[in-house]
This record gives sequence, structure tokens and C-alpha cells, in this order.
Amino acid sequence: MGVELNPSPAAFGEQNALAPGAHVAPDQRFFDDLNGELTDKGFLVTSTEDLFHWARTGSLWWMTFGLACCAVEMIHVNMPRYDMERFGAAPRASPRQSDVMIVAGTLCNKMAPALRRVYDQMSEPKYVISMGSCANGGGYYHYSYSVVRGCDRVVPVDIYVPGCPPTAEALLYGVMQLQRKIRRSGSIER
Amino acid sequence: MAEYLDQLEHRADDHTSAGDVEIQNYTINFGPQHPAAHGVLRLVMELDGEIVERVDPHVGLLHRGTEKFIEYKTYLQSIPYFDRLDYCSPMCMEHSYVLAIEKLLDLEVPLRAQYLRVFFAELTRIKNHMLNLGSHIMDVGAMTPNLWLFELREDCMNFYERASGARMHANYFRPGGVRQDVPLKLLTDIAEWLDTRLPRLFEDAISLVAENRIFKQRNVDIAIVSREDALKWGFSGPMIRAAGLPWDLRKSQPYDVYARMNFDVPVGTRGDCYDRFMVRVEEVRQSARIMKQCLAEMPEGPTLSLDRKVAPPKRGEMKRSMEALIHHFKYFTEGFHVPAGEVYVATESPKGEFGVYLVSDGTNKPYRCKIRPTAFSHLQAMDFMSKGHMLADTTAILGAMDIVFGECDR
Amino acid sequence: MRAPAPAYAANDGVIETATAALGAALLEAQDLVGEVTLLVERDQLVPAMIALRDTPGLEYQQLMEIAGVDYPSRVERFDVCYHLLSVTRNHRIRVRVRTDEVQPVPSVTGIWPVAGWLERETFDMYGVIFEGNLDLRRILTDYGFRGHPQRKDFPLSGFAEVRYSEEAKRVVYEPVKLAQDFRSFDFMSPWEGAEYVLPGDEKATPSGEHKAALPQAKGAPSPVTAEQVRRADDDKKDSPPNAPETKVTESPAQTGAGKSDPGNKPEEKPKDPDVIPSKGEGQNQ
Repeated sequence: MGVELNPSPAAFGEQNALAPGAHVAPDQRFFDDLNGELTDKGFLVTSTEDLFHWARTGSLWWMTFGLACCAVEMIHVNMPRYDMERFGAAPRASPRQSDVMIVAGTLCNKMAPALRRVYDQMSEPKYVISMGSCANGGGYYHYSYSVVRGCDRVVPVDIYVPGCPPTAEALLYGVMQLQRKIRRSGSIER
Repeated sequence: MAEYLDQLEHRADDHTSAGDVEIQNYTINFGPQHPAAHGVLRLVMELDGEIVERVDPHVGLLHRGTEKFIEYKTYLQSIPYFDRLDYCSPMCMEHSYVLAIEKLLDLEVPLRAQYLRVFFAELTRIKNHMLNLGSHIMDVGAMTPNLWLFELREDCMNFYERASGARMHANYFRPGGVRQDVPLKLLTDIAEWLDTRLPRLFEDAISLVAENRIFKQRNVDIAIVSREDALKWGFSGPMIRAAGLPWDLRKSQPYDVYARMNFDVPVGTRGDCYDRFMVRVEEVRQSARIMKQCLAEMPEGPTLSLDRKVAPPKRGEMKRSMEALIHHFKYFTEGFHVPAGEVYVATESPKGEFGVYLVSDGTNKPYRCKIRPTAFSHLQAMDFMSKGHMLADTTAILGAMDIVFGECDR
Repeated sequence: MRAPAPAYAANDGVIETATAALGAALLEAQDLVGEVTLLVERDQLVPAMIALRDTPGLEYQQLMEIAGVDYPSRVERFDVCYHLLSVTRNHRIRVRVRTDEVQPVPSVTGIWPVAGWLERETFDMYGVIFEGNLDLRRILTDYGFRGHPQRKDFPLSGFAEVRYSEEAKRVVYEPVKLAQDFRSFDFMSPWEGAEYVLPGDEKATPSGEHKAALPQAKGAPSPVTAEQVRRADDDKKDSPPNAPETKVTESPAQTGAGKSDPGNKPEEKPKDPDVIPSKGEGQNQ
């Protein structure tokens, strides 16, 4: 048996899940093994599921759906200081190329059909991050005659990021949470 | 042979013959979701080939009913709505509103508070222009300056956070002054930033584009606006200054301590997109100059009015004095009553004249608050400004207008 | 003026010059809170605006803003306020006309093209009709929106809300249903003229003389309305108690009381209080 890209569930199972905040040093032996395997045989063996998870979480291209104030923080998270592309999350302008839509800002009635259309145009598998209190539930504008009380009335939402607006770190954490969610959920139907 | 020539001639007359496609005007939809639209703008454009014939901007895709909300909230509770109008320059939005309330109350503001407001309004101007200049450059094709300018913007956000506790929606200006005094370390840090980081990064980034041939080709002589047009279409701010009118509300109608400040008003010579860009570039330098003067002259003293009806007591005072506690409670629940009357107060926001028309009926809530957005009149001029230009120029025109939809649609 | 508001040229002589220039079109001129307001005859608006723009000594070149205001109690309920700016004289002025839902206001798009969108917005928000504006569409509200949201009788939350319908596969409009109403408070003391009955005050008024309707703001119910209070009293008088079974206290279980001993018996205490219990068998385990 070859080396797996990700350790098997037995190694990182529920019973010895890491305490929150615990620091994990990269296992040098693991990398040495990996390196040896590659130089020796020239290929790696892994499970398809692991490979899919790795591909999905490693290149979360997101659809820039900047609507209001949160859009500014969404831009900031892409700029040099926070640099979300470290996590493989790159902004895309076209829904056809993107995997995740970040709904950043107040969703108004007039905009709701456009949001749904963009969501429908995205290819599967697709995820939605709702950013900021306006997108989560209307927030400061909940009682307005022209605001949708939460973008989950229009599109299914995977991750809610609270804040008005959430800081750039918060959005970054939201993206990491989404990666975790993707890793947790099975991607192959048996 | 003659027959063939006849046929050819006939074919030349007949437009619908095979292989000859008739070119018609066609209409395209730009937005409402487009990265160069700077938000949620929908442009219905009629094109002749690649030449823009007519533009019909559809706005209101971010209409949140702010003006209606303000009628339902007390004067104090509606300040955060102003932050969320132009979310690229939050404190400048608050400025008009608190000045309008102060005008109705005829309230005296401590000098240090006035200095702090001017100081942070100018920081906000820098913050706004960093976003606008960067995205304008990016809209016409250059990536790098935007990254550098956003690094500066990130610094501005940190200063915001250290002054008010929030990176963006500060809610820092209050009727009668500012929420709280700033620590001395913050002022010295900003002073150092103004001397070192800002000029170095900013001048570096601008030097990449200001004399760049490609950048000039995309901007010079695009969407020229004459002085007459600028007046007729209600332009203000950098838009009217680029058209050649030296009109700056900070100079001509000074509010707070702008009358004491020494700064220059940049004016464009041709009225095109390049002028608008360069006016903003120069404004950043002037803003830094104003901020340095503020730092040099800022006196010590209270930062909020001492009138207990319009400003809360200090926390420590509240713990000891029953009267202060009552004032605090009444201030944050009922708010304060503003005498009946109406005012229109306009300040020079980074985008232009941002006005607040406030009608009070003597209660603790505004009877009517009409917000005069800068973007409304500028975007309306989009039609005549982009007529006859190429489709790709619309992004440059839009970028040079500096439109933010939170403010435009309210 | 003590407030640090924007300082422009003094208002001296503006009203006199405007009175001379506008003549009969000017109904009323005020100088309040440092701002000049002219009330102008509605039909004479366009010539009055041209006079304000072109008369030397007035020279208001720019139209900055058109604002509507709604006073539902008036016959001509809407004010339309035009804010003019003179860049040469550095002065601002407000021109006001009055109208109602049906009488059109002459459009000033011929003088200032910027008025096009500003009038559209006033039309959208208040339903004021501008005669001569060739493009009087809605501008800010949704496509197909009904009503004029800034009118005082339009509820804050409106009438329609949107939702994506899985059945219809599109975004649909539905009547507004709020989980919790918008809370608005009036801050009047009961002796300042609050109209509702506070809890505990029901007996203060004889039951026959209740004020008929209690006009409360929507979404701001007082804890108990007068009608509910009377109904509760009636119930007490007439109807028998409708509890499911009579409550008895014959066994300790029925009383709801706890154990009789306080729970600090010697055998429940740790064996040796001085010994720090080891993991797994201490008193905290």
C-alpha cells in the first residue's frame, strides 16, 4: 500500500480529535515518506474521496457578489495584508467559473432575481457564504420595505459570517469553515 | 461579363443579400452584477458596433429605505445609517448629519472636537481616494498600484479601529463633538504614517500610472465635461473641479475648523477622466497637509459638548451622580428634542457635495431627512458623457466618477 | 450662529432682491435658522426659477437637490423643496412649492437637466407628478413596486416581500409576514397625553367611559389594551374556573417540595477533608 495524501480517519478520528487551539507540528516523517515514495516510484496512491476533497477545498474560486458595505471588506481580504489566495480562494467575475458565492451586503428586493440567476448559473458543486448581518437576516435594515430579510430566502446558505461588516479576518475564518464543511461532508454517492 | 457586372451592382444595392450581414444598433445589459460596475449598477446600453449611443443607468438595486428608517429612529440612532451610506468614506457622511443637527440646535462644539472631526474627515478622504484611485487604475487594466494603495487603506482602517473601535462603520462623530478622545499614541502614529509610509507607497503607486502611456491613452480626452455642463448637471467635488471650476466647500463654505486650514484646491484643465484622476491624486496630498496642520494646532480640552441634554455624561461621573445617571438614561433611550425647523447642510465629502436636508418637528425623531447623494447627479450625466465613446471607455468613465451605491440608492 | 455649520455669504438683501425679481409668483419668504426659503406659486415655478438663475444679485446657477416632504394633515399635502446654489455669490437658497397627489408641478428639466432624476425620485417616493418631465419612471424602488414609500401613511415594512419559490423556480412576491414587529416607542409620560392604558391603571377610568379606539403605532402595542382588560374582568366574574383538575396537596410529590433533609449528612461528606482527592474519586467527581 502506498502513502495516502491525507492520513486515514483512524489516525485523526473522533476519539483523538485535537483540542481547539492545539498546535500541530507538521510530521516530518510523513513528508519524508511522501518524498521517498515520489522519487522511488514516481506516483502517489490516495483515495478518490481524499483527492476530491483536496481539489475542492484547495481551489475555492469565489464569485464576487459585492452588494454593499461588506464588499469593501471582501476586497480587503483579497488584498496583500490578508491575501485570501493563500487558501486557494481566488475571485472570479463569472459565475460559470466559480465554486462559492460570497453574498456580501444588503440584498434588496430589486436585486434578488439577479442574485438567484447568478446562483443558478454556477456549476455544481456550489456553496454560498452569507457575509454580514444584512445578508444573514436583514440586520440593520430588517424592517425595510425594500430589503430581503436574509439572503437564505433566495439561495441556500452554507456559512453565515456575522458582523456589520465582518472584519476581513472573520471572512477568512468563514472561508476556512467552509473548507472544513466540505471536508466533513461526503462527496461521492455510493 | 456585362451581365455579371450588373449582378454585382445589384448586389451592392441589396443589403439583405447572402453573405452580407446588416449591422444594427443593439442593446446590451451591463450589470447588475459586474466587477467594473463598482457595486450594483445596471446600465442598459445601446451600441452601434462598439460605439456607445445611449446609456440608461438603472439604479435603486441597493435601495434600502434609509430615509424612511431615519424618520423612525431618534437622532442618535440614525447616525450609523450614515456610515452605511457611502461605505468607502463613512465619517464624512456622519459629518453632514451631525452638522445639520448642531445647526438646528445652535450648539457650540469644543475646539478639540472640531479639530478631531476635520482630522478624521481628511483621513477618510485619503481612505476613499485609495479605493477609488486603485479601482480606477484597475478598471483600465493595471493591477499593481491597486495592491499598494489598498495596503494604505488597510492602515487607515486600523486608525479607524483605534479611534472608534470599528474598522469601517465608525459611528464616531456625534452631535456636539466626537464620541471620545483619541489616545496620544494614535496621533503620533498617524503623524509618523503621514511622514513615512503614506508618501512612499502612494507616490510609488501613482508614479507607475500618472505618466504611463497606456494609462493616458485610456483616460485623456475621455468624457470631456465643460464648465457649463458641470454646472447644469449639478456636479460637485472632484468632478466639478476637474471641469475647471475651483469650487470646494471646504474653502468657500468652511465648516468646523476648515477656515483655519491652509490648503490648495486642485483644478483640472481639460475636464476629462485623466483630470478627474489627477485632481484626486492631488487631493490626497492636500489632505495629508491638512492632517499635519491639525496635529500641530490641535488644542487640549473636551471633545464633546458639555450640554447634558445632547451629550452623555462621562462613565465615571455616571457612577457617582444620580443626575448624571438620569441624563445618561434619557439620552440613550429618548434621545434629545430638536427645535422645529429645517436646514440643508452640505459638506465636501470625498465624492462631492453631500447634503442633508433635515426637517424637525420638535420631537426626538427627524420629521424628514433627505439625503443629497453625490452620485445621483454624476451618474445621471453618464449618458452624455459616454456618448460616442467606445464600450471599454465606460468603465474608465464610471471609475473616474467615483460612485458608491450605498449612497446613490440610499 | 454658534454651531460650526458651513458658513456661506450672508442672507442680507436676498429676500428683497428675490421679491423684486419674482413679483407675484412669490407667496412667502422666510429667513429661519440662517437659511432663506421662498414659497413660490406652483404654476409660476419655471419663470421664477429662470429669474432666480439669471437675475444679477441672485445668480443661482446650480440645482443641488429636490426634496419632497409629506404633511398628511394639509390639503396640499406635499412640499417640494428645491435647493439652489450660487457658486459666484457663494449662497444657498430653498424654493418651495406645494402640491397634492394629482396636481402636477411644472418640471425644471428645461433649466437644469439634473432635475430629471431628482424629479423621478420625488415621484417615486411621494407620487408627486412633474409636468414636462419626459422620463417620469420609478427610479429607486423595485420594478413593479406599488405605492410611494416616503409618504407618512406608507408602513415602514411595506406590503410585499420576496422569496425564492422552489415550485415556481423563480423569485416570488408575498405579503409581508414579520416574525417580530418593528418596535417603536413614544417617550411620553402618562401625564403628557399618552393614549393607552398602562397595566395597573385599568381601574382608574370607569369602565363605561373608555376612550373608544386606541390609536397605537403599528408594532408598538402597550402591554394590555383596554378591551383586553375588560374581557379579563368579565371572565373572572361570570365563568367557572376551567382548570383541568382540582389541585390537592395530599402527598409531598403533589406539593412540588424537595427532600426534607438538607443533604449535608455526615456520610455524604468526603472521608478525610484534608486529603486532596486523587483523580476519579474526589468530591468533585
